[in-house]
Amino acid sequence: MTDAFDVVVVGAGHAGCEAAVACARLGLDTALVTVTLADSAKMSCNPAIGGIAKGHMVREIDALGGVMGLITDRAGIQFKMLNRGRGQAVWSPRAQCDKAGYAAAMSALLDGVAGLTRLAGVVNHVRLERGAVAAIELDDGRRVACRAAVITPGTFLNGLIHIGAAQIAGGRIGEHAARALSECLAELGLERGRLKTGTPPRLHRDSIAWDRATPQPGDDPPRPFSHWTERLDVDQVPCHLTHTNERTHAVIRRNLDRSPLYSGAIRGAGPRYCPSLEDKVVKFPERAAHHVFLEPEGRDVPEIYVNGVSSSMPAEVQLEFVRTIPALEQAEMLRPGYAVEYDFVLPHQLAATLEVRGVPGLFLAGQICGTSGYEEAAAQGLIAGINAAHRVLGRAPFVLRRDQAYLGVLVDDLVTREHREPYRMFTSAAEHRLLLRADNADERLAEIGHALGLVTQEQIERVRAKCAALDAEERRLTRITVAVAADSAAPAPGTPAADGTATAPARRVRALDLLARAGGSWDGLREAGVDCDLPREWADCLEIRVRYRGYIERERETAARAAALEAATLAPALWDSDLKGVSREAREKLVRWRPASVGQASRIAGVSPADIAVLLVHARRAAPDGAARARAGAEAAVVGPSAARAAARSGVTGRA
Amino acid sequence: MTQLGDTITAIATARGAAGLAVVRMSGPEALAIADRVFRGTARIGDAPTHTLHHGWAADDALDAPIDAPIDAPMDAPIDAQRIDEVVVAVFRAPRSYTKEDVVEFSCHGGALSAERLLAAMIASGARLAAPGEFTLRAFLNGRIDLAQAEAVADVIAAETNAAHALAVSQLAGALSREIGALGERVADALAEVEARVDFAEDVGGVEVPAHVRAAIADVAAALAAWLAASPYARAIRDGARVPLVGRPNAGKSSLFNALLGEPRAIVTPAPGTTRDRVSEAIELAGMRVTLSDTAGLRETDDAIEAIGVARTHAAIASAAATLWVVDASQPLAPEDHAIAAVLGARPLLVALNKSDRPRRVAPGDVERLLDGGPRAIVAVSALAGDGIDALAAALAALLGAGPHASEDGASSGPATGAIAMAVSNPRHVAALDRARAALLGAASAADGGAPGEIVALELRASLAALGEVTGRSVDADLLDRIFSRFCVGK
Ligand SMILES: Nc1nc2c(ncn2[C@@H]2O[C@H](COP(=O)(O)OP(=O)(O)OP(=O)(O)O)[C@@H](O)[C@H]2O)c(=O)[nH]1
Ligand SMILES: [Mg+2]
Repeated sequence: MTDAFDVVVVGAGHAGCEAAVACARLGLDTALVTVTLADSAKMSCNPAIGGIAKGHMVREIDALGGVMGLITDRAGIQFKMLNRGRGQAVWSPRAQCDKAGYAAAMSALLDGVAGLTRLAGVVNHVRLERGAVAAIELDDGRRVACRAAVITPGTFLNGLIHIGAAQIAGGRIGEHAARALSECLAELGLERGRLKTGTPPRLHRDSIAWDRATPQPGDDPPRPFSHWTERLDVDQVPCHLTHTNERTHAVIRRNLDRSPLYSGAIRGAGPRYCPSLEDKVVKFPERAAHHVFLEPEGRDVPEIYVNGVSSSMPAEVQLEFVRTIPALEQAEMLRPGYAVEYDFVLPHQLAATLEVRGVPGLFLAGQICGTSGYEEAAAQGLIAGINAAHRVLGRAPFVLRRDQAYLGVLVDDLVTREHREPYRMFTSAAEHRLLLRADNADERLAEIGHALGLVTQEQIERVRAKCAALDAEERRLTRITVAVAADSAAPAPGTPAADGTATAPARRVRALDLLARAGGSWDGLREAGVDCDLPREWADCLEIRVRYRGYIERERETAARAAALEAATLAPALWDSDLKGVSREAREKLVRWRPASVGQASRIAGVSPADIAVLLVHARRAAPDGAARARAGAEAAVVGPSAARAAARSGVTGRA
Repeated sequence: MTQLGDTITAIATARGAAGLAVVRMSGPEALAIADRVFRGTARIGDAPTHTLHHGWAADDALDAPIDAPIDAPMDAPIDAQRIDEVVVAVFRAPRSYTKEDVVEFSCHGGALSAERLLAAMIASGARLAAPGEFTLRAFLNGRIDLAQAEAVADVIAAETNAAHALAVSQLAGALSREIGALGERVADALAEVEARVDFAEDVGGVEVPAHVRAAIADVAAALAAWLAASPYARAIRDGARVPLVGRPNAGKSSLFNALLGEPRAIVTPAPGTTRDRVSEAIELAGMRVTLSDTAGLRETDDAIEAIGVARTHAAIASAAATLWVVDASQPLAPEDHAIAAVLGARPLLVALNKSDRPRRVAPGDVERLLDGGPRAIVAVSALAGDGIDALAAALAALLGAGPHASEDGASSGPATGAIAMAVSNPRHVAALDRARAALLGAASAADGGAPGEIVALELRASLAALGEVTGRSVDADLLDRIFSRFCVGK
């Protein structure tokens, strides 16, 4: 074992694994340090990857050359496209996974990556030399030299577990807490906050009356997560749905004083979007029932994850309320739910590369930046890993724009907004949502991943072939015409395109237009005699492209206009000047966040349009070129963070 | 608008013969520069805010002994340096027009005093302000929003009482408030739609619930009402052009004179008298209406008259409305058919002139020549002065001063006091029109069962357009355009 690496990644959760693989594949000598090697990429909470907006991020990670999608395809036991009832643009893939299988698949992958060394140990310190990262130190005194470190401790950063009145230090039940590391970050001058998350009880499979719950099967055929998975051969396992009821809620209300959330023992703010059952009952008293999903934690394990009833009540209260739920009357609890509080670093202290401002070489990713979710963590891990590598290699920072990827939205939101609760991704966070679809992640990002060196030649050629095939098919469908009944939107059956024997009254339309209109489909085209030999996924891509063309064009235009503000860069030195003309309120915020562009500044709460106008003047003065661009009709569509509003309004409780 | 944070100055009053002129200065050095020019009993730098100081302005006032007896300051500047006797008003930041330190020198009117005073300020360190720069600073320093800033220009430019009232109410932020309230409703609707996209599993059911559709329709209707009122509002702000057209000898010049109340245009019994256009403004229901007497429309070989006819066509094309003068004492002639064809479906008022004589033309005869249904037709006699008031009232109504214009607020408009809330600025009209179009797009997408993200896209576009009015959405180029509209000194 060497004791010097280019990059050390601390923590082998979903963020750490992506970061380490990216660094190693970019040619750097990389160490991945974690307490227990076998616990790498452990799914600490729910046994699923993806979901609305989260599934989009996994597709993006995959298109850039990350690993989460591939591992999900290997460990998945049920695949489902969410939002299928809606427009294809917000279809989101989700997969139930075998938890042990997921961790095992990741370990196998990590072991096969050249240049990646896995170390077991507890990291206590990051050491600087001349202001930059020089080494990390383990609790046994070992010192590992490095030129960059990516810190991804998850809930272990000074973690504290609550079950009823009991408090246990640790990031997961039965594991340790990284207290020294948190202190070390404080010594480096970083401002910390405290957050909380929770996990529901696990029940024994054989104690559940399955016939009293509604089965939720997977899609047939299942669609793989990864662009690079050719085919999924999987024997899918169903989930089941049941509901809480007034009796459940009565148990909660009667025992509220025993919940650390309401007794005041927990200080950290929890996520609004998948709150504990205590929160749901208190905050949405008008709801008589809440969804409860019963999800297997694996193919051959007895644990059933009870999605929707996170709780930090004492174990006996949890058992009492669980048994009020249909199908769970006889349930045996294998493990109670618990809440965990942990430290995070307020992310305004980070640049969009996820490097700590003022500490060259120190990168943070995952829950330490205030997010929740495996996918959010993996996304940051990839970004931080690439940028750590670029820092060592002397390459330019890697930053994705908001109109390029959810990953760009995620990082930008982290570094420009105030965060009081764990950040979770929503599609409404993306103002250019129709551009950022799960189906076109490869079209958007694979070339970028290839240029970075993370997408192989073979992979990029497949993407190029797909794009070419879609273009060719689109051209073909503009040339073919089909007969449609004059008075109906559907094609007149039995009027094939080729032989021109259209029955009157009928008129001919381009096949592409037939596909694009509301209610149009490939089946409809086939009935009209037009076959398509694209693979089904590609055919879907083309259909979306064609059907939403007008809207997609409009989003491109707004993105192009917003780009001018994004291009108006603000020099860091500006924040040390007296900022003439900027209001006092905005000045405080700007100096705290130090936005890199006028676009970023426009998203900081408390910065008014007038302040933005002043900043444009400053940006113009600093860079005459940027000025010209900024003048070219810069326009920030300032739309409030509607996700927050949406959640507050609907009183809903997204499934984690 | 190149620089911030320096001290700017300009003459704030109109040039030319006037009792008083004001030179205004704003910026961190305003008080210090004022002291270099001012000789009086007090130092401006020590003066409390909102105070007036009498004294003299002088070139190189600094050269005069600063500790000259303060009870005898009048003698301090020697004659060559003396510019004028002045009253200086001091407004300290942030309680000033720009939220910066502001000093205003009032001197005697006429070109010279103010020009010399301005030169003295510049010599002492101030910079000549660009057009609109004082207001730009008020905007940049957060004292007013964009719609208010534009209203400042309108207040200055207002030539009628109604125009002034409209601009003043916009300056007070009425427009911004109303638009902000509409924007809130759109944002709420957006949130509801977003919730159904992001929380599909929990919310389920319809994409866009009925109450959200109702809210969208409501806001669209409010915008439509504003936009319907806007031609009148624009006529109030910018005035309206109304040419008088008709065949030769119909009595256009006579009617023009009758509407003006003075014999401005030449009247003769010979057809083809008027060749060049003559224009004069009148005030009508608060609007500044520019009437033009034009050459009679007919086929002609006379080169000069032909040019006049061409100009008449041009005037019709650019007019807010046209007043067609018909000689009702004669049967309609082929020229009248040709004129009717030119006028087409444009906003039009018909005067059946020479009603003092036996009538040979009925209103129905005229209407039959025109497309687009019934038109306002008024019988008048330019010669006798009959029907002129009725004609003027009909013209005011045609220009939009109808139900929207009631100043008592009893209108059907979007808010009480329709004039106060009318949208007069073309930029606002365009933005509100886009906001409304996007809302209609959202409504039809929702009705057509389109997915929520499409409805959301339209709602976001609508919000962005509303934001453009108040500056909530920023457009760098737009700022330049807006502030360059100002006269220097504001
Ligand atoms: N009886 C009568 N005569 C009128 C009336 N209005 C105008 N006239 C006469 O009609 C003649 C033409 O009047 P103008 O006002 O010069 O007519 P115009 O349309 O300007 O004519 P051109 O400039 O030549 O096109 C003059 O002799 C006027 O006195 C009216 O209301 N009653
Ligand atoms: Mg005439």
